[in-house]
Order: sequence, then structure tokens, then C-alpha cells
Amino acid sequence: MSVTVSRRLLTVVASIAFSLAAGSVQAQTRAETLRYVTGASVNTLDPNIPGSTREAFAVSLSTYDRLVSFGRKQLNGKWVFDLGKITGELAESYEVSPDGLKMTFRLRKDAKFQDGTPVTAEDVKWSLDRVVTAPVLGKAQLLTGSMTSADQFKVIDPLTIEVTLPKPDKLALPNLATVYPIIFNSKVAKAHATADDPWALAWLKENTAGSGAYKIETFKPGEQVIMARNAEWNRGTADKSAFFKRVIVQSVPEPATRANLVERGDADLVIDLQASDVQSLEAKAKLKVISTPQYNAVTFISMNNQIPPFDNVNVRRAIGFALPYDDMFKAALFGRGSPLFGATWADGKPTSGAYPIPQPVKLDLEKAKEYLKAAGMPDGFSTTFSFNVGQASTAEPMAALVKESLAKIGVKVDIQKLPDAQMSTQINEKKLPFFTEGIVAWLPSTDYFYRNFYTGNQRWNYSSINNPELVEIAQKARFEPDAAKYEEDGVKLNAIHFSEIPQIPLWQPSQDAVMAPSVEGYTYQFHRQVDYRDLNRK
Amino acid sequence: MAAFGATVIRAGRRFLSSLPALFGVLVFTFLLMRVLPGDPAVFFASGPNAGKEEIEVIRKQMGLNKPVPEQLMLYLYDVGSGNLGRSMMTGQLVTKDLRERLPASLELTFTALLIALLSAVPLGVLAALRQGSIIDHGVRFFCALGVCVPTFVSGLLLIYVFYYLLGLAPDPTGRVDIFASLPPRRTGFLLIDFLLAGDFDGWWAAFRQLILPALSMALFVVAPLARITRASMLVSLGSDFVRTARSVGLPWWRVVVTYALRNAILPVITIAGIVFSTMLGANVLVEKVFSWPGVASYALDALLSSDYAPVQGFVLLMATVFVIVNLLVDILYGIADPRVTIG
Repeated sequence: MSVTVSRRLLTVVASIAFSLAAGSVQAQTRAETLRYVTGASVNTLDPNIPGSTREAFAVSLSTYDRLVSFGRKQLNGKWVFDLGKITGELAESYEVSPDGLKMTFRLRKDAKFQDGTPVTAEDVKWSLDRVVTAPVLGKAQLLTGSMTSADQFKVIDPLTIEVTLPKPDKLALPNLATVYPIIFNSKVAKAHATADDPWALAWLKENTAGSGAYKIETFKPGEQVIMARNAEWNRGTADKSAFFKRVIVQSVPEPATRANLVERGDADLVIDLQASDVQSLEAKAKLKVISTPQYNAVTFISMNNQIPPFDNVNVRRAIGFALPYDDMFKAALFGRGSPLFGATWADGKPTSGAYPIPQPVKLDLEKAKEYLKAAGMPDGFSTTFSFNVGQASTAEPMAALVKESLAKIGVKVDIQKLPDAQMSTQINEKKLPFFTEGIVAWLPSTDYFYRNFYTGNQRWNYSSINNPELVEIAQKARFEPDAAKYEEDGVKLNAIHFSEIPQIPLWQPSQDAVMAPSVEGYTYQFHRQVDYRDLNRK
Repeated sequence: MAAFGATVIRAGRRFLSSLPALFGVLVFTFLLMRVLPGDPAVFFASGPNAGKEEIEVIRKQMGLNKPVPEQLMLYLYDVGSGNLGRSMMTGQLVTKDLRERLPASLELTFTALLIALLSAVPLGVLAALRQGSIIDHGVRFFCALGVCVPTFVSGLLLIYVFYYLLGLAPDPTGRVDIFASLPPRRTGFLLIDFLLAGDFDGWWAAFRQLILPALSMALFVVAPLARITRASMLVSLGSDFVRTARSVGLPWWRVVVTYALRNAILPVITIAGIVFSTMLGANVLVEKVFSWPGVASYALDALLSSDYAPVQGFVLLMATVFVIVNLLVDILYGIADPRVTIG
């Protein structure tokens, strides 16, 4: 009897001790785990696959390395990526020849793939060949850096690779730091290639073969990705492995739920809350809120310059002076961002050659009416204003204000809310007369913006502007080595933009990163996602 | 036993006779998706540099470069060989996505329906027995409230109270705590899989995740179930056989349960069948609010991005479920009322 009792007692004590120990272990792993919640989802492990989401980009940054990466700098007290500082990631060092036609990368001797094999120049060559040859997203990206053919990548020795360019291109090196030219373990990838799929697109979509800071533990597309730290990785800025042992990327579609999760401390970081939630969380001051204006992104109101009445420059100018900018900024973004309106340009000249810069437009109904009269439409006209469902939370209040204000100058506006796929289709077919959209450039330079978003009969030229002078200056500026001349070209481009007013830049919305007070190191990145390798917990 | 065999044969025949309807649904959805404005290739080619070439690549990948009749033949051939195509959104085969997500939706819907039936039937019976009393009015009020509060409002409210304020419920993100380990997958129903694995802590965790979404769905469907129970109970309570049963002095519970309720349950089963099918497809709001990885939110996301294959797969799945549920309802009829057979 007494034996049974004592044995039972022992079991109870043991089980209590065990559960206490388990509890502390769990608490410890929680501190070393980053739980990131997002409304979007990861749909592929290879960012090159057509259709891949931005969350997929973020995951691939952690699972793969590139040759080089961007540094970071402080902008108004917040960390942002620095295009001007390119450091080695897999490359130990690199040099650009004086004529700018050759870039030579020397690989780190200690760099290993996650399966333990060393990273060689052959792997780099295969990976770069893949980006410019296979039907992948990176092809169009590397084109912007004059890299178009596999012949441009040459293996010099097992640790040296050389990239040759047809002409000196400022964007060639930064392009290699973007999301697409990731370095694959070519032996593993080739083993999974088939005759139909020589670049192993299908296999790499669901598996990784990289040298990055994190390994994939579970990948449930549309639900969650769990990554475990690669302890061998030492390519971070501080030459050591990433801080968090585990990173959980979880899709939580409802923004209110995401706000609850981070406020209760169950999630560590979220970057896609509604502006109203961010504001109330910031007011409660329990969490850390880092708001960075997305200085490589712009939100516009676009007008189709080829469709009447917007083919008339005076109509576009009238709209430019009839928008209630301040009210829109408050209603749509709660003032969270940096405005691109209400500037004063001394003697009507652009204040700089950068893009975008605040435009000298403000709400001035009298001026707007004069322009309408000059356009021969003193009584106004009717049009539709479109936006997509995905942007409804900011675009809907904005559209209502646009409608109300334009009614005052006689322009009747019907608001049209389109499902995202429909909106992109109609934009691509150039069918929308008047709408709001946003753009983003990974490598924001003035000529890049003008070449991509104001040139040619293509989708991203939202306003369908066709101005030969603008195109000529932008193309010339691309290869302009002299900084002063480049600035001059930028000023010219900005002046054309304002006089033609093809579309109206409104603002650069803030990226509001809301995080637990213990999370540190958050940096705003060019891809507008979180680079999990930047983060640590104090 | 022979009767049972006959039922199975007749059920099988009924299922076969519904195949043309399923085929119709398949073709109709296929054509409908292609008639809808919105080009999925343009939508998915949305990288910062995606141009015409990328759009063409995706179009080819989705098979949209071929004429529609050819696409339809290819699709029918694929469906015939058990392949529903590939989702652009998740990058997975639609059959795989549905197989993973359907159990989540079914588990949620079954639980919600169970909660709804367990509360609606007694409430309806009570309301019928005490017609016009304070209980009757109370039930009516409760039902009206349940119907007029949309599921996502009740869902958010439940989250706010039980998770955010009181901290009683686990965080409303999916089927199981993200830090917990999953049981080996046998049925896909977590409650069953945890039991099979003998992991009772896991079972409890999954149950806690399930209870709030199930409640917010149940609230919405209690009303039709309770109202129909009340109405049909009133009819059978006023009928001759109940009067006879009462007059011969049977105990009250026997009168109510065996005679009145059994005769009143047929319409409730019909409604429950309909409610179940609707819930499964229409619980998208609950799935969204609770980040539940179910089929409805999957289909909605696919629809918004004009991702054809998942939407077609989903509609086919729902049509099949509808056929099966109707069949089940008919079989249940036979059990509830031996006079009814399926034919």
C-alpha cells in the first residue's frame, strides 16, 4: 500500500517537474522565434516563378544568397536600404573595371550550401544563366541592368566569376542585389531538371537548394512557412548567423485579427495593418511602430492621355487643381506618408532632378475652371474613376472626395470598384480613362522611373503618355556617367512631367511596421517586405 | 439486411443519375470563368518588370493560349483522369489544395451544425410547448439576433471578448496553435487525428481553436433550425395521435419525444441538409476572420484573382457535396419515417 502511494507521489512530482521544465524550454524557444503575420501568402519558394507574391520574395531572401546586397542607412532616424552601398553577400569582394564594362566577383572561400557543399563559380554561372535564359521573372529585371545573355557570365576560376556588359550601366551591379538573381546549388537543381524543364522550375518552386540564412521547415502555400536558422550562415552584415532560431510566416487574412495578435503579444511583427489600426496602436504606445515613407513607391491619380477628354492637357491641368489633396491624404492614409503636393517651385522650375518630387499643385477651383474653359469644356464632362478592390481601404474614401470635389467644376464622376484581376486587365488594355494606382521601383533612379512608367505602349505606362522628348532624355540619362549632367536631365524630365501632367503623383504611403517592443533591427527594404535576417530581439 | 442492401443500391442509382447534373455544373463554371472580365495572366504577371513576355508565359502555363473549345476538351480530359489543374495562387495542384482544405471546412461545418442542432431543436421544442410564453418570445428574440448579426461581426465580437479582453480563447489563427506539432495525418480531421494519435493535449488545443469559429457559424443557422422545429412541432402537437397519446396517459416526455418530435423532425432534417451545404460554401467570412484554412476562403481568393482552376474545382466539389448531402438527407428520412423510401 505505502509503496504504491509513494510511487504515485513520485510520478506526480516527476510529471510536475517535467511540465515546469517543458514550460521554460517553450518560453525560451518563443523568445528565439519570430512570428510574422501577414494578409498575403507565400506561393513559391523560388521568387522567379511567374505569379510569385511579395511574401515569397521575402522568404527567398532568407533561404538564398545573392552575390551582393544593399547596405542600410538612416533616413530621419529610421533604417532604410542604401542603394549607394553595395556589399558582398556570397562575394567576398568585387571590382568594376575602370571602363565599367567588366565586373569581377570573388566568392567567399567559406561559403557553403545548406547541404554542406561549397559554393563555386559554376553554381553562380548556372544561376545567372537561368535568370536570363529561363522563362522567369528575373529576365525582365536583369534586362534593366544590361544583362541579357548567358555569354556575359564567365567562370574565371572556381572562386571567381566575371560579368561583361555591352555598355557601362549604373544599374548592372544593383540588379545583382535584387530578389531574382539568387544563387542555387546547381548540382542539386540539375539533378531535378527534366527535358521539359531544364532549369528545374517545377522542383525549385517547392524545394530550396540555396546557401541562405534559413532552411525551410514547413511550407504550406497560402497558410504558413516555418523556417529554421542555418547556423553555418555568416553572410550577414555582422558576419554572424541570423538572430532568430525560427521564423514563422503566417497568413492571417483579417487585418483586425492581425492587429489583435500583435497587440496581445502573440505575433512579433506585422507590416500590413490598416492605417486606422496603426494609429490606435501607436496612441496606446505599448508597441513599437516604425513608419517609413516608401520612398521608392508612388501613389497616383492617372489619366489616359490618349482618350478624350484627357488627351487635352488643359483638362489634365484642371483635374490637377481640382483635387482636394489634404482631405484625401487624411481620409485615405490618416496622414501616414509623405505628400507629393502643395510644393512651391521658385520661378516654376523643379526643385530637383530626383523622382518623385512634390508637385506645385493644390486645390484651387478657380484655376481649375479656367483650365477647363481653356480646354473648351467650360461645363465639364462625365467620366468614371476606377480603383481595385485590393486597395479599397485607401481608395474608397479617396474616390468619394474626388467625386465631390470634381462635381464643383462640373465634372461628373462615376466611381467604379473593380476586382484586382479585372483592373489589371483593363489597365493593360488601356481602357480606363481615370483611375488610381501605385508604382514601385526596386532601383529608384529618375531615369528608371521615367523609362518604365512614362515610356512606350505598355502596361506600366499608366497614363499612356507618348512624349518623344521625355523618352529621349530618359534614355540618354540612363548611361550618363556625370552626376551633374544627370541631375540636369532629371530637372528637365520633371519639368516636362509638370507641364504635361500625364498623371498626378499624390503621395508616398508609409510602410507601418508594428512590432513587439523587444524586436530590433527592422529595416525598410527595396522590396517592401521584411528581411528576417535584419531582426533580433533584445 | 436486405432492406439495407436495397437502400444502398438505390442510393448508388440516385448518385449515378446526378452525374449529368455534375457534368453540367462543370461545363457551365468553365465557360462562366472565361466569360468573366479579368485576365488571370495579366494579374499574375505583376512583378515590377512584368511585361508582355511574362504575360504570355503565364498564359501558356495556364493553357489560355489555346481556343476555348480546345481548353474545355483538355479540361474535361484532365478532370476525367482526376486532375483538376494547378492553382496559380498557391502554385499547387487543385486536388491537393482541396484535399488539404476540405477536412478543415468539414470539421468546422460539422461542429457548427452539431452545436446549432443541439441548441436549436430543444429551443424549438420548448418554444412550441410554451407557445406565446416568455420562453417563446425569448427564443424568437435570440433567433432574430442570430440571423441579423452577420457571421463576421459575431466572429470579430467573439474574438474581441474571448481572445482580446479575457484571454480565454487561443489566438484565432487557424486550426491549431502554430507552436504545437500536428498529429500524423490520417483523416485530415484534427479532432479525430489527435485522438488516433492519443495526444489529448493536442486534441484539447485543436478543440479550443475550433470552438469560436464554430460558435459564430452556429449562431447564424440556429434561427432557421429553431423556427422550423417550432413550426413543425406545433403541427404535430396539435395532431390526433398526440391527443390520443396524451389521453391514454403516456408520460409527457414520451409524448413529446417519441410521438411529436419524431413526426416533426422531417422538415428539420431537410433544412439541416440545406443549411449544411450552404454553410460549407458560404462560411468564407468566418474562415477569413479566423484564418481558417478552408475551401471557401480558398475559392474566394481564387475568384478575386481570376484563378480559373481552383474556382472550377471548388464549384465541382460543392456540387458533389450537395448531391451527397441530399442523398444522406433522403436516407435519414427513411430512418426517421419508415413510410418514406428513396427511389
